[in-house]
Amino acid sequence: MTYQLAVHRRTPRLGRRLTLTGLALPALLLMVVVNAYPLVFAAIQSVHSGSLITPGPFVGLRNFADVLGDPGFWKAAGFTLIFTASAVFGSWALGFALAILLKPQFPGRGAFKVLLLLPWIVPIVVTAMSWNWLLAGRESLLPSLARALGMGNVMFLGNPTLAMITVCVFKVWISYPFMMMMCAAALESVEASIYEASAIDGASKWQQFFHIVLPVTARSTYISWILMAVFSINDFPTIYLLTRGGPLEATSSLIVLAYKTTFLDFLPGNGIAIAFFMTAVMIALSVVLLRQIRKASLQ
Amino acid sequence: MSESGSLHRPSATPHPWARTTIAAIITLVLLSPILVVFWLALRAPVAWQQAGPTLGTFWYVLTETKVLHWLGNSLLVSLISTVCSVLVAAPAGYVLSRGRGGATSAFSLFIFVLQSLPAVAFVIPLFIMFAHLGLADTLTGVSIVYVASSIAVGCWMMTAYFDTLPVTLEEAAWIDGASLFGGFVRIILPNSLPGILSTALFAFLHSWNDYLVASVFLRSESAFTMPIGLQTFFQQNLADWGPVMACAVIMLAPPVIVFAVLNRYFSIGGIGGSLAGR
Repeated sequence: MTYQLAVHRRTPRLGRRLTLTGLALPALLLMVVVNAYPLVFAAIQSVHSGSLITPGPFVGLRNFADVLGDPGFWKAAGFTLIFTASAVFGSWALGFALAILLKPQFPGRGAFKVLLLLPWIVPIVVTAMSWNWLLAGRESLLPSLARALGMGNVMFLGNPTLAMITVCVFKVWISYPFMMMMCAAALESVEASIYEASAIDGASKWQQFFHIVLPVTARSTYISWILMAVFSINDFPTIYLLTRGGPLEATSSLIVLAYKTTFLDFLPGNGIAIAFFMTAVMIALSVVLLRQIRKASLQ
Repeated sequence: MSESGSLHRPSATPHPWARTTIAAIITLVLLSPILVVFWLALRAPVAWQQAGPTLGTFWYVLTETKVLHWLGNSLLVSLISTVCSVLVAAPAGYVLSRGRGGATSAFSLFIFVLQSLPAVAFVIPLFIMFAHLGLADTLTGVSIVYVASSIAVGCWMMTAYFDTLPVTLEEAAWIDGASLFGGFVRIILPNSLPGILSTALFAFLHSWNDYLVASVFLRSESAFTMPIGLQTFFQQNLADWGPVMACAVIMLAPPVIVFAVLNRYFSIGGIGGSLAGR
């Protein structure tokens, strides 16, 4: 806070504000044009029927009523919840475990740190194809393994329940590197002297984990959960490229449903109503969550 | 790499090689879906009726498909949007890092809220808007969307880096008569190369890997970027894994190479701090 005073002393207040506004302006303008303005357009389209390009007659809140009355919408909302929860906690658990494994010095540590980020770096288009091969081809790895174990023909992407699990595992696999990087940064902030002091006091590794590591990293863990939740709710390609939302719409999350309603069923009014419904929820949620983050950071 | 050497380090483990073994096994399992891509890429096209691994498949896709064209489009789009992302995100990140008060808080909230909105809600209106401007089926159009959609995380990454620079750095410049803007351009930016490279790397991966925007915007094959080209090729050659995976290898090479070169600068773990306390 000391520099705030320094700034006030040396540059006139107004000039400083103008400069900061100017620096923020390109980002603001671009986000308004590309994100905010189309949302207004989407709001208008959500209360009209009609095709993609030309809006039809005004139908009031009919699209919203249609969408909310459709059991498919609630099914998708349910899967969105499952998908998001497993993405957040699954990738956090794996990422945290790997960050702890890679914390001390050992031969090859630097190489593993980079290699383990690959699922996040390699394009989803590519990894979705290779998972498809691993899971769905008759001759490929996992189905052959299942047959060898006497489980018969396991349809990882054909059975609705299995497909839901598979998509969630795929998402955890794609997302753990992000969590690993977040956790590694948080672990670095724990000073080595704390471990040494607690070891002298006779704390075991597990006691250190539960009484030092978890509490000290709690704030950054919380923030990374929130970020991952937001990323997962809006994650379209991970699901769509692996299963197209099938089988029997079992793996359609809300965003996949919105896309399919708009582009495959050609009902943009309904599709945008779904997306708009998500938007409203996400605005409310993100305002609350950011406030939570700020509160957490004051403690 | 002598064992006695590693013992003297403060954070050395009692059994360093045991840890190496465990890490190697876990890495192998976790990377198996990526190793499979390379293994399948060695298969000959089905039409050749040839068993055994071959590198000829790469020659086949390079000459018989438009993969080089898609690769060029993707490189163009990604490089342009990377440069623009940094140019936009760096000053915005500086504002979040040094600004205080209600306006900065509101700006931070605005970024966070827009970042959390579903892209599907605005791709259609955006497509219609861009169609009026003649940008719909163009690489310029998708580049603009990529820059806009990478601002939030890019801005947080730049903020996290600027937060590590002491303000005394700019203060010295202000005493010498530099303005706030002058201090940012002449003192802060030249000292932020790691932060800039890190943000650039994120922006590059973001635009290289995008599927949704490209699939809605790019309609003609001459404008296809790698993800759309590969996806189309995959659907046309469903059982022909050799050529499909050879294309996949060509697609994953640029981000992996760029990351291999720049990874020591990459740091995204700090973005939590940029969200907090604004």
